[in-house]
Amino acid sequence: MLGYVLLAPSLFGVVTFMLLPMLVVLWLSLQRWDLLGPIEFAGLSNWQSVLTDRSFATSLVVTVLFIAMVVPAQTVLGLVAATMLARGLPGSSAFRTLYVLPWICAPLAIAVLWRWILAPTDGVVSTLLERRVEWLTDPGLALPVVSAVVVWTNVGYVTLFFLAGILNIPREIHNAASTDGANAWQRFRRITLPMLRPTFFFVLVTGIISAAQVFDTVYALTSGGPQGRTDLVAHRIYAEAFGEAAVGRAAVMAVVLFVLLVGVTIVQHLYFRRRITYDLT
Amino acid sequence: MTSPSRVLSGIVIYPLLVAGAVITLAPFLLGLLTSVTSTQQFSTESPLSLPTPPTLANYLDLADAGFGRALVVTALMTAVILLGQITFSVLAAYAFARLRFPGRDVLFWVYLATMMVPATVTVVPLYLMMAQAGLRNTFWALVLPFMFGSPYAIFLLREYFRTIPADLINAARTDGANTLDVIVHVVLPASRPILVTLALITVVSQWNNFMWPLVITSGGEWQVLTVATAGLQSRYNAQWTLVMAATTVAVVPLIVLFVALGRHIVRSIVVTGLK
Repeated sequence: MLGYVLLAPSLFGVVTFMLLPMLVVLWLSLQRWDLLGPIEFAGLSNWQSVLTDRSFATSLVVTVLFIAMVVPAQTVLGLVAATMLARGLPGSSAFRTLYVLPWICAPLAIAVLWRWILAPTDGVVSTLLERRVEWLTDPGLALPVVSAVVVWTNVGYVTLFFLAGILNIPREIHNAASTDGANAWQRFRRITLPMLRPTFFFVLVTGIISAAQVFDTVYALTSGGPQGRTDLVAHRIYAEAFGEAAVGRAAVMAVVLFVLLVGVTIVQHLYFRRRITYDLT
Repeated sequence: MTSPSRVLSGIVIYPLLVAGAVITLAPFLLGLLTSVTSTQQFSTESPLSLPTPPTLANYLDLADAGFGRALVVTALMTAVILLGQITFSVLAAYAFARLRFPGRDVLFWVYLATMMVPATVTVVPLYLMMAQAGLRNTFWALVLPFMFGSPYAIFLLREYFRTIPADLINAARTDGANTLDVIVHVVLPASRPILVTLALITVVSQWNNFMWPLVITSGGEWQVLTVATAGLQSRYNAQWTLVMAATTVAVVPLIVLFVALGRHIVRSIVVTGLK
């Protein structure tokens, strides 16, 4: 009995604020609601309109492109930084701590900060370049620039995991390889990288799942523009529900996003389980 | 190991590490400098010129724009969620780690499964539920969805509680301690590192939370710092000195926390892997 008493508050939270909303969002996807008026049954019309709709398809494509830019970039940069920090040169731990700074700050505040830095007229970058560049309103530039801001935020965080992974590799393996005549690159390629496979798994999965949900950065930097070029799916859901008051359609998009995210997790698990590497025990 | 190769690698590595540090810090420092620049100077000189003289006028303007209240609301919200999350997560984790009751493993599995539910997906249905409950634009709407514990915290605490020697708990039991005594006097003192970790992660993520407060509050009454900053930015688009003062207020409390506890935070991130 005592067990249930101790669980009661958290169980209330889990049921009311996690499980129930999942049911409500499914139900809402079959309703028509404009945030103010009555809720009316709409059958599958939301599903039909969203799945045949240009704006949602665009938003999914934009999100995939965004993930394809952010995740590889932050992973490679994080690995490079971790490799340098792992040499244990004096001051390394100070650098490590400093690199995480952007990640602990509110993404919303970071985005506002960069909005000024990238502002075409009185921004920092335009001043340094001495010419006006429309970083956030040029259709070709906006998404890469938003991606760069997110990468800038995340690199230090990714670095921490690679650093922990590298420091976990037993020294003896490296020493043995050195004795056998392996050079630094060979040791990195044949020992460090394979031994980091679990870290790669973690960094890639969490990277994809969090990039798929980026909202604050886009909200403050571009509001999804220009012409929907930075309209990431989380921002589309928000804009659909609270901008255009099409709550049923937003619910459909939320369900689709959830299914895709669960799918990503499962696929990556299957893939990496087959290839997870060398347990040394 | 102080071989020539090590010196050489230092010559290559340090400049790169310093470059990384400059790229990381420069935006913050530039924002800070702009926040203490007068509006007049900013509009006439280069945005990179040093403030002469530095002024706090922008921060005073922020106070007029309701940022004092936003700061208090944010701190209060973070404190209530922190207290609730830690308390209720500890109770649940103890039950999962130390007690036997029917359905325990199924329930634990359900808790784990909810870790896959992203906030982006629940924000729309939660809005409807809060609106129906008449809680829109209240303090309760800000804290309720987060204050009953987090499945991830429960998972981590459970792992930790299982490592506490059973003898320690049994000894307290034979001395007549009830479950609450055991938790407060035996389990919690033995779990200090993981509790610090969870507290830090909770403070960082709640202080920075934006989407939910944006959706569920309106107007100045229950506005948190992130929402106030976003609102200010869209209202005073070109007044960068004022806007930079706002972002400074939004990030400085966490940066202070970070400078004070950097080592703990870094460790916490690696332990939990989660925001």
